[in-house]
Amino acid sequence: MEPLSWFEIITRVLWQFIPVWIALIAVFVVSIRYKRRLGLYGKLFDSTIGMIGFALVMFWVFTGIFGAMDLIVTHDALSQVSGMKNEPPGTPLMRAEDGQYPYYLFGGDNLARDVFSRMIKGAWVVVQIAPLATIFAFMVGITLGLPAGFYGGRLDTFLSFLANLILAFPVILLFYLLVTPEIVATGIPNYMAVVLFIFPIVFIAVLLNSRYRTQPRIRTPLLIGVLGILGWLYLSLISESGSKVSVIPDFLDLFNVPGGILVVFVSVVFVNSPTVFRIVRGLALDIKTRDYVAAAQTRGEGAWYIMLWEILPNARGPLIVDLCLRIGYTTILLGTLGFFGLGLPPESPDWGTTINDGRRLLQIYLHPALVPALSLLSMVLGLNLLADGLREETLRD
Amino acid sequence: MTDSYDGPILEIESLSISFFTRLRDIPAVMDFSVKVMPGEAVGLVGESGCGKSTVALGVMRDLGKNGHIVGGSIKFKGQDLGAMSQDQLRSIRGSEIAMIYQEPMASLNPAMKVGKQLMEVPMIHRGSSEKEAHARALQVVKDVKLPDPKRILDAYPHQLSGGQQQRIVIAMALMAEPSLLILDEPTTALDVTVEASVVDLVKELGKKYGTSMLFISHNLGLVLETCDRICVMYSGEAVERGSITDVFDEMKHPYTQALFRSIPLPGADKNARPLRAIPGNFPLPHERPPGCNFGPRCDYFEAGRCDATEIPMTDVPGQDRHATRCLRFQEIDWHAPLGTDVQTTRSEPGDVVLKMDNLKKYYEVAANALFGKRGDTKVVKANETLSFEARESETLAIVGESGCGKSTFAKVLMGLETATDGQILLDNRNIESTSIQDRATQTIADVQMVFQNPFDTLNPSMGVGRQIIRALEVFGIGNSEGERRQRMLELLDLVKLPREFAERMPRQLSGGQKQRVGIARAFAGNARIVVADEPVSALDVSVQAAVTDLLMEIQREQKTTLLFISHDLSIVRYLSDRVLVMYLGHVVELGTTEQVFAPPYHPYTEALLSAVPIADTRVQKRHIVLEGDIPSAMDPPSGCPFQTRCRWKSRVPGHLCEQEVPPMRQMENGHQIKCHLSDRELAEMEPVIQIAAE
Ligand SMILES: Nc1ncnc2c1ncn2[C@@H]1O[C@H](COP(=O)(O)OP(=O)(O)OP(=O)(O)O)[C@@H](O)[C@H]1O
Ligand code: SF4
Ligand code: SF4
Ligand SMILES: [Mg+2]
Repeated sequence: MEPLSWFEIITRVLWQFIPVWIALIAVFVVSIRYKRRLGLYGKLFDSTIGMIGFALVMFWVFTGIFGAMDLIVTHDALSQVSGMKNEPPGTPLMRAEDGQYPYYLFGGDNLARDVFSRMIKGAWVVVQIAPLATIFAFMVGITLGLPAGFYGGRLDTFLSFLANLILAFPVILLFYLLVTPEIVATGIPNYMAVVLFIFPIVFIAVLLNSRYRTQPRIRTPLLIGVLGILGWLYLSLISESGSKVSVIPDFLDLFNVPGGILVVFVSVVFVNSPTVFRIVRGLALDIKTRDYVAAAQTRGEGAWYIMLWEILPNARGPLIVDLCLRIGYTTILLGTLGFFGLGLPPESPDWGTTINDGRRLLQIYLHPALVPALSLLSMVLGLNLLADGLREETLRD
Repeated sequence: MTDSYDGPILEIESLSISFFTRLRDIPAVMDFSVKVMPGEAVGLVGESGCGKSTVALGVMRDLGKNGHIVGGSIKFKGQDLGAMSQDQLRSIRGSEIAMIYQEPMASLNPAMKVGKQLMEVPMIHRGSSEKEAHARALQVVKDVKLPDPKRILDAYPHQLSGGQQQRIVIAMALMAEPSLLILDEPTTALDVTVEASVVDLVKELGKKYGTSMLFISHNLGLVLETCDRICVMYSGEAVERGSITDVFDEMKHPYTQALFRSIPLPGADKNARPLRAIPGNFPLPHERPPGCNFGPRCDYFEAGRCDATEIPMTDVPGQDRHATRCLRFQEIDWHAPLGTDVQTTRSEPGDVVLKMDNLKKYYEVAANALFGKRGDTKVVKANETLSFEARESETLAIVGESGCGKSTFAKVLMGLETATDGQILLDNRNIESTSIQDRATQTIADVQMVFQNPFDTLNPSMGVGRQIIRALEVFGIGNSEGERRQRMLELLDLVKLPREFAERMPRQLSGGQKQRVGIARAFAGNARIVVADEPVSALDVSVQAAVTDLLMEIQREQKTTLLFISHDLSIVRYLSDRVLVMYLGHVVELGTTEQVFAPPYHPYTEALLSAVPIADTRVQKRHIVLEGDIPSAMDPPSGCPFQTRCRWKSRVPGHLCEQEVPPMRQMENGHQIKCHLSDRELAEMEPVIQIAAE
């Protein structure tokens, strides 16, 4: 068989992405149709920049999801096909079996795996981890930033000092420390996870308690239920038999998070939460002078109710914008981590790791590194445009 | 420019301005005409959003990127501004037309010394030398009556008080000796007594330099005091235009009449001349009715006529340049008496509910912000020996300018701060040192507050109904969600809002409606004492009347004690039973409304009364202008707090005023005045406000 021409490659790639196109069009049609009723999200569709950003981001989100459902991929992301090592894009398989896709659309990497399929699978890893890790960082930043801004005084001085201290810490060094076997053996990453992952639980508990404080009949069962489930998830998350933190027996342990991912989470939270802290603190300082906060105080609301229900919702605009930007940074950070061989396992198809793999032969074979690099670029660009669009729209009206 | 030009300085001819937004076009100004002659001051009044600022910005050609002039012309000294190039416009804007905005800091560069900013004006526009510019700067700073001009020139804007900053802005506008000065609400951000002196200054300078002025304001009284002519705007159109006396005394447009009827005038109390709110709401620019814009709210509306065609501006025969946009102005009986509303009976005050005894609140502030903890702290005496009683269903007004300690007092009462000394007795229980966390739910529900800024009083991210229900939850009212919902709907009825509003978000409500929700929230727990902190000062006049009336109606029904904090003496006189005047943390006068508004006055009350602009040509005011600004509470003067600005000080022998804080003097019938003046001197005081016999 002949290798595919560029035109054919592009047509075939576009064809592979059919489910994504359908999903994208559906989302856009519905959203534009009802944009006046959709609040801030709806307003996004008034800004061209925002729409482009949103389309890019959603493209990768859908790619990730459908890829995980094995819809778009053409080959298994891990299996090697003999003779395909470092072949250029559009190369046909030597001996295509029945039902096997006859081409490597974006060529093969140095282990003879399909670059196209690895890109798709990599999207899933990125789309899962980056937002989740960023949201964790936000919860930590918010739980500390609100009281710092609201109470001020010594608490604020102390927490701000801590935030600055962390910001001054060389990040790469931190990553290396976190994955050094000796350090892992001492259990430090596990202990850090124990501390960091408690914040979301505290956050949700306080949120619910302050809201339903006046109605004990609803509050108590609700809190017990929610905290029970969260607590279990938390214990499953941090506990790993064999490591330093092994607090619950295996049959209760719902899932084990690979050590690498835990490190990724810890580092993302560590790097991002001080900045989030500062943003939240600033917003809280501003919003606490509003009359509705005074009104809440004069009816005797607790401090946490005021922070979480009166201040936080009104700080959402800048926070959502920042969240988008920060997911972008985290995506790059994941890439950086992967590039250093940190975090995710070496065979992981995530973009950072693949770029790193392709780097060594970059001068001879460009494509194995270029494809994930462009993917990373377009996704981060999309997130930035989305943030810009949101910012523009929150400033209006 | 020809200096010999003697036609109108500014001539606006059927100007229309639209803003083009994503959703729709907003016709902000339509068919607007006005003429400003040399040396004339024209007032532009109207409610918020009626297009006053848009006109001003249109003249300045500063409409932003989405605003466009879609019709008509603006002529400055006979030249069409629309036909000028950007360069010509720029040079005219800097030197011939100057604009003064509401917020002084918006026009000042915070990083540059005042003197330098002033000197830049002639240096850029006329190429003056530095020396000339400096001399001129010194001269104008003297002209705007700032003390110690040399020091002021050397200061940064943030080192000056609000009043001083506004004077600098005026000075800056004058540096170029403009022929036209546009003032957009120049005093709204200032205190009354400071406002009075700034207005005085503007008037005087207008005469001295022969500058024409376009004075934008929502305050009819202020326009009466400063302007020769007035133009009333409603919903993007000029509805009435004429000389001050014609428009004030012989108004020919129903909207102007309704406006006057909705503001309290001195010499009228709630029983003698009830306020009449204008029914309905201001139409949004894109929802204007056909025909007369004021139609849906007009008492004289005639279907088939008023809503048939566009209404043109018509001259009122026999008067000087007086025109109105009403079809029926010649048929309406303008002197028909007000239809008497439901007569309200004055409710008798009941038992003492709240008693303050020698209440003191001091704040300690670090003198040095960085290393504050070590040693020297300063004490700010926010409240000094506050004593008074308030009875059931009584309205006690607390009057004073910013920084006099009104808000501190409210905070201590609410329990957000605890008192330094003295007592607060609520039903004979001491609450002065119980902070809000330790108060019983009932106590908290009993003392509630209505806030000043309607745009800030509701949480923007929570539905209106939810916010009221939350208050009910906290106060422990209702046993189930259903009961609370029912109660919330009843509260909406109480404040006369449609029940559908429960589902709305605050941003979908107008200022007056938000304030009503704030009132409903305050009364959610059947509050017995409500502190209303300037509840209507941020609202439009036509809405103020409705909200004030609502507040009083609820108070009457629920026998609430209302502590009404305000600086607007007209409204205080209108609704309160007793008045307490505060200055720099001290109560300087306390008495019934009649006692406080009639001599003998405390010298500060006298000045305050004189400062209030009154929209009534029959009223004659004695003119008392206070020198200087309110001293800072950080650094109060020795002796009498008012001694730095008091014009009576010299009558007290032996510099007593500078040495000793005067005692609270008991006058007749519980009237109290804190002053060293002798009884004879006090008795000699003349009334400040008099209504000329007709
Ligand atoms: N940049 C803009 N874009 C869209 N609409 C605008 C813009 N500026 C003003 N408007 C609208 O034009 C109308 C007139 O506004 P304008 O600011 O002139 O009112 P105003 O009489 O000065 O009110 P205020 O007393 O509150 O200062 C309002 O309906 C306002 O919402
Ligand atoms: S034209 Fe008709 S509706 Fe308009 S102000 Fe005159 S009487 Fe009222
Ligand atoms: S005590 Fe003296 S300074 Fe104070 S108000 Fe009376 S006269 Fe004026
Ligand atoms: Mg304005």
